[in-house]
Parts: sequence; C-alpha cells; structure tokens
Amino acid sequence: MAETDTLVEALSRRMPVSTSDAAVTLLAALIDDVDQRCSSVSITPSG
Amino acid sequence: MPNVTEGCVADAKNGVRLATRSEGGVHRDDLKDLTSLAVQGDRTAIESLIAQLRPMVVRYCRGRLGRVSGQYHIADDVAQEVCIAVLSALPRYRDMGRPFASFVFGIASHKVADALRSSVRSAVPTQDLPDGPDEGPGPEETVVRYIEAEHARRLLSRLPDNQRELLMLRVVSGLSAEETGNVLGMSPGAVRVAQHRALARLRAMAELESIA
Repeated sequence: MAETDTLVEALSRRMPVSTSDAAVTLLAALIDDVDQRCSSVSITPSG
Repeated sequence: MPNVTEGCVADAKNGVRLATRSEGGVHRDDLKDLTSLAVQGDRTAIESLIAQLRPMVVRYCRGRLGRVSGQYHIADDVAQEVCIAVLSALPRYRDMGRPFASFVFGIASHKVADALRSSVRSAVPTQDLPDGPDEGPGPEETVVRYIEAEHARRLLSRLPDNQRELLMLRVVSGLSAEETGNVLGMSPGAVRVAQHRALARLRAMAELESIA
C-alpha cells in the first residue's frame, strides 16, 4: 500500500514515474492528456 | 467583481497545490486566508483564489468529461461554469471547518453530472485557427496520446463511482490524500486504502484487456 501511495503521490505531483505497472501507465497517459495547454480564458462575472 | 484572466493548464504543474507542500506550492493556511479575504470581497484575493483553483478544476472536468471531436471545449466550458459558480457563491460561503476545495469540487461534481446528462456534448465547436506556428506535439504523438488517454478513461468509467471519483481527484486533479479525503468525506488513511484498491482494480482490467 505504501508503494501505491508513493506512485499515486508522484502522479499527483506530476513527477516522472518509472514503472511497468499498467494502471500507473494508463493514469500517466490520462494526466498527460488533460494537462495539455489550453487557450487563455477570461472570466468576467457581472456585479 | 473582478475581471479574471486565467493562464493555461500546463502552468499549473509547478504552482498549484492546496495542501501543505513545499515545492512552489500554496500553503493550506495561505489558501484559507485567501478564501477569507475573497469571501469579504477582496478583489485581489478573489483573483488569486480563482487562479489557483481553476487549473485543478479544468483537469477534473477534462478527466471526467473527456474530449468531444478531439477537443476539450466542452470540459473547459464546464470548468469555466464551475469557476463562475464558485465566484457567485463566494459571498454566501461560510467556513464550516472543511477546506475550500471540498466546496469547489462539490460544485464541480454537480456541474459535470449535469453536463453528462445534457445533450450539450453533441455540440461540435469549430477549432480556432492558430495565430502562429503550432508548438504542440505532432500528429502521430497526438494520436497516440489521445488513444492512450481514451483507453484510460474507458477503463476508469468501469470502476465503481467512488473509486473513479477518488482517482480523478487524487491523481488527475492533483489533490493530496488529505484534500481528497476532505472532498469525499474520508480520512487520509481511508483514501490511501481506497486508492490502493482502485489501482489494483484498474490494473486487473488493463491486464485482462491486454490478454484478450
């Protein structure tokens, strides 16, 4: 469980992880995808 | 209310943390102070608060909603709605001892659920033409990344709701075990047990697919 927490913490902090764990590899791919640069967005609430 | 202009998700990699983390992050007490000032209407505090929260909300929405026609427009729009809802609710927010992240991700969870239920996802926005050269990954790398991410999202969708939500918050949004526990009403220890089980389940599904 400690090993899992170390891996999860590394993914969460966007640190490089070197593992053959299929679940970690999948999550790393998803993180890589959602962290892609997005265009600037303005929020201009009224009030 | 302020005019808040946000940067990009990639910028969040180095700067946004709600927990007590040392590397370039925001101390939890700082965020609490920031929230208190924001609730009182301090414009600078509101801007800083949203600037720190938005990247995590975007990641969460992107992780949950995925792409539509290869783009994250819908997820990013929902993230925008979450930020606006947080801004609107700020004057009524009262610190009841739970971290502000619980409040934010509670709103985010509802907005994502609404988006999943609605037919808005069928809308296909047109991609803007770039002003300059595209410095992003090439087409091949983009496709590989897209396929892997969609594979991850498909397997995650088969996890029980509580395990999927935990991994979205803890891994994709980048919350600490403590913050994830606060959002989900669990102790940090329970989060660590649950994430271990969720990962084991995800691993088993991935390995089963690779055999088939």
